[in-house]
Amino acid sequence: MRIALGLALALMLASPVSHAVKAGEAAPSLSAPNAAQQSINLKDYRGKVVYVDFWASWCAPCRQAMPQYDRLYQQWAKRGLVVLGVNLDSDRAEADRALKRRPVSFPVVYDPAGTWPARFELPTMPTGYLIGRDGIVRYVHEGFRTSDVPALEALIDKTLGEKP
Amino acid sequence: MRLNLFCGALLAVSLLSGCATTAKQDVQPWQRGTLAKSEMAFEPDPLMSEYRRQVQFSKEAASGGATIGGGGCGCN
Repeated sequence: MRIALGLALALMLASPVSHAVKAGEAAPSLSAPNAAQQSINLKDYRGKVVYVDFWASWCAPCRQAMPQYDRLYQQWAKRGLVVLGVNLDSDRAEADRALKRRPVSFPVVYDPAGTWPARFELPTMPTGYLIGRDGIVRYVHEGFRTSDVPALEALIDKTLGEKP
Repeated sequence: MRLNLFCGALLAVSLLSGCATTAKQDVQPWQRGTLAKSEMAFEPDPLMSEYRRQVQFSKEAASGGATIGGGGCGCN
């Protein structure tokens, strides 16, 4: 009995502890295919400031956010900003339809299995991760409101200005 | 005796391991695509849904009661 209880306790303690990616931590190295079926790894963007935006066609604030992120990308791509959209639709056709309606110029990868959000432990939809040139997460942006944009813009600007 | 104990331990572990994994069974924020479809709503017609909500608020005195942060101040 004692053994049984001990084993059960050990198992419960050893159960996977949830660990969401937070500011100050290294971004996980993950890869996913883009529309051309080329594998894109987060690691490939080391040296650039990356804003990882998790989105899906069924998520209204995500659709609202994308034109704003596209504007920031076009504005600051030359300074080294990359916006990486991670689509989480289980049906690819729905993602394509959403992108046709509102095209974006930043790279988009597709993760229908949800490997990326599971690793990041996404708290909500949408969530954006601002990753510095050194691969460390600077800021986690939960949800989206248009009123968030100026503060986010200032943060990205500051991160772009950091010495590598 | 020792075999019995071992079997008991194994059974306890296998039963209790269920407790350890239940937290991961919840629907995660990124898995709500199917739930977000209009046919999954109680009332897919927005006009009818608003009408029903209005009736509910008035009857229950619970503004916003159908979503988060229900009121219940009695002032409706």
